[in-house]
Amino acid sequence: MKRFGRRTFLTFVSASAALLQLSGLPAAQAQTPKNGGTLVATWGGFEPQALFVPAGGGGAPEFTSTKVLEPMLTLDSDLNFHPALATDVTPASDFLSYKIKIREGVTWHDGKPLTVDDIIFNADKYWKPVVAGPALQFYTGIKQTGPNEVTVSFSQPTPEFFFKSVLARVLVIPKHLYDGKEFATNPANNVPIGTGPFKFKEWVRGSHVAYTKNENYWNKGEPHLDNLIIRYWRDPSSRTAAMEAGELQMGVFNPVPAADIKRLVDSGKFVASSSGYLTSAWASTIEFNSRNPIVKDPLVRKAIMHAIDKNFVVDVVFSGRAKAGKSFVSSTNTKFHTGDVEQYKFDPELAKKMLDQAGYPSKNGAPRFSVKLVAAGWFPENGRIGQYVKQQLEDIGVAVELTVPDRPTSFKVIYGDYAFDIAVGNHAAPVELVPVQTNYVTTSGILKGVPFRNANGYSNPELDAVVAKLAVETDETKRTDLARQFQTILARDVPITILAEIESITVASKQVKGYEHLANVLADSWSTIWLDR
Amino acid sequence: MRRIILRRLLQAIPLILGVIVLNFALIQMAPGTMLDVITSEQQVSDPEQLEHLRRLYGMDQPSIVQLWNYILSVFRLDLGYSYRHGAPVIDVITAHLPATLILMLTSILLAAIVGVAAGVASSLKVNTIWDALISLCAVFFFAAPTFWLGIMLIIIFSVHLGWFPVGGMRTIGGDPGLFGATLDLLRHLALPAITLGLFYAAIYARVMRASMLEVQGLDFVRTARAKGLSPFRVTVAHVLRNALLPVVTLLGLQLSTVLGGSVVVEAVFNWPGIGSLMVDAVMSRNYPVVLGIFVLSACVVIVANLIVDLAYARLDPRIRAR
Repeated sequence: MKRFGRRTFLTFVSASAALLQLSGLPAAQAQTPKNGGTLVATWGGFEPQALFVPAGGGGAPEFTSTKVLEPMLTLDSDLNFHPALATDVTPASDFLSYKIKIREGVTWHDGKPLTVDDIIFNADKYWKPVVAGPALQFYTGIKQTGPNEVTVSFSQPTPEFFFKSVLARVLVIPKHLYDGKEFATNPANNVPIGTGPFKFKEWVRGSHVAYTKNENYWNKGEPHLDNLIIRYWRDPSSRTAAMEAGELQMGVFNPVPAADIKRLVDSGKFVASSSGYLTSAWASTIEFNSRNPIVKDPLVRKAIMHAIDKNFVVDVVFSGRAKAGKSFVSSTNTKFHTGDVEQYKFDPELAKKMLDQAGYPSKNGAPRFSVKLVAAGWFPENGRIGQYVKQQLEDIGVAVELTVPDRPTSFKVIYGDYAFDIAVGNHAAPVELVPVQTNYVTTSGILKGVPFRNANGYSNPELDAVVAKLAVETDETKRTDLARQFQTILARDVPITILAEIESITVASKQVKGYEHLANVLADSWSTIWLDR
Repeated sequence: MRRIILRRLLQAIPLILGVIVLNFALIQMAPGTMLDVITSEQQVSDPEQLEHLRRLYGMDQPSIVQLWNYILSVFRLDLGYSYRHGAPVIDVITAHLPATLILMLTSILLAAIVGVAAGVASSLKVNTIWDALISLCAVFFFAAPTFWLGIMLIIIFSVHLGWFPVGGMRTIGGDPGLFGATLDLLRHLALPAITLGLFYAAIYARVMRASMLEVQGLDFVRTARAKGLSPFRVTVAHVLRNALLPVVTLLGLQLSTVLGGSVVVEAVFNWPGIGSLMVDAVMSRNYPVVLGIFVLSACVVIVANLIVDLAYARLDPRIRAR
């Protein structure tokens, strides 16, 4: 059977766009949104542990909480910020403070008004200490400076894109429900009260979460849907069947097996799209533990990279639904990515020569050295990549002990015990590089026991200095240049790099409209989504 | 009879204690802790916050103290608190319990009726085309992977014929009333119960057939026939009653697993049962929920065994006499 790969998918999308242009219909703006109806949607993951996890909690609670709770700003797929609970965010000339105008006339779902006190509580008690501490490392305080205005202060200049990215990511929670209470166990986490376009209605564990339209939503005319239902299916094939039977209209984040996408699209009832994952682009990574003297040597790391065919990983492991990585920043990050860095083409013979040169010759068929390869078990593809890397390294004379532990064990082995020489893992990074992405490689990112930080032990003062400048440089052109330097250093030293940029797909009924422009379809409020019935 | 019940209840106390201690030890030995999962999901890096979480989850105590506290709380009928769900463990389990009980009991009932009937029919028509056909079906449903059978039933009866919903336990939204809600539940229940039931029915059919053939050849059956009893009476009153004992044993074993649910069927049909909860709890090292399910399962095993013992006594007067 012919596989439905990335190229086929892109061809299909391009052909559809061309047909729309030929017909004279602009793809997105052709129709006026219609109000009403119930959208039943799902995603490619499992049910959340709680509908809202104050400290984050991953994609599952992010999906459920963001329909009810809102951020201060939103970001679109062209990297433009739009007002949400903040109507205006203006930096001072020295970028040491920002004035934030708070939207008037907004009420929480329980009828209480959104006030300046709510925003001050969020900044002081929630954003800084709980959800965005590393991002707000230079935050010094917040105070009311007008009837509906607050001023946030920093000890160091804070770039505008950086701060607005934080405001577009963190949610605003009600002070009257969280103040003085334990965040992690607050009952409101499972019965969220927000200002968003949808009100929480019910959660039947193991089945679905239901929302109803917020009639008092501040953005008049939205949301377009009367009801939103998020259903959970553990089995991807059953999600396909549910779509075919009309029980599901939309699935985000790879809801169905790759082989089923073409069948759904060919039925003429569904469309598949890879847009909407700008700020949640997942990548498969490989990293080398600098605590091991062998893989600490950049020449060994480069040799290993020459032994791995990234295109094989893309074509075989991801069935074409991925792209070979060119630098440590994904190409989906249109603001900061550069592919103009040192590349390691697939050349096993060169890899062997480099290992000889590094002082690890192959003698009488004996291994050059042994490594412990850990493939983090949170994505099934990691195990397959691990198998492939093991095979490739053995071909160049390196003995490999491969383990694919389950999720909690992977956290412990990689980030807690550092008990690996080479690790295959993943990261999903927002557009802003500091601190989420930089924490994988900076010295300050080395925090034993904390996942998705610097587990490889790489410590380079040159790179630390670039990141430190990136965090406080307010000229966006200079920041782009610093980001290029960041990627150049990492491509040269290869403590960690991207093997494949994973392509995420949304599959939706043709009746579902209004999600095409979203930067992060999973974490958007879905107020613009409507049904063309 | 009363002695059997009393003896079984007394035996339950050390059994439950054993289940708690053994599973607690196994969980402690597993690499990675609940705190690892929570801190990874919440990106906790601040040592003070880590210490706060450790205290909040009681993980700052030595393991033996944690175990002792847990045993005390179980005997107070408190299964602890699931910090991952933000709710007491008993609430988390009981939220999934009705779905599991409905699915498992229906499928067991279906399996018992279909399996016993097929086994009896097969034994009465032994070495005929009917016997061969029933045996073939039994082997097929026993061998077919449950997820495959479930998907096939969905494709035929939900996607193509549209007779049954693809998944879930009820239609979301609307208030259909008691009668409507019952019908709606039955529509949702049909395919998962059939998928699970056919697997068990295949086992019952094979066991029942063998047991019937064995009992048919015994002396007391020949005597019953010699007395001039009708074939129907011989089959039902003498052969079937005695042949049921191995099936009752199987039924008891199956009832013991009722609380575990079926992870595969729940996943395929989006059925909100305990199987999926258990998998999630193990994967996230959510020990309070894992232990809670184990403790309740142990109770179910004890009750199921008691029911089997009572059923034996009812079916076989010799056991009652002992």
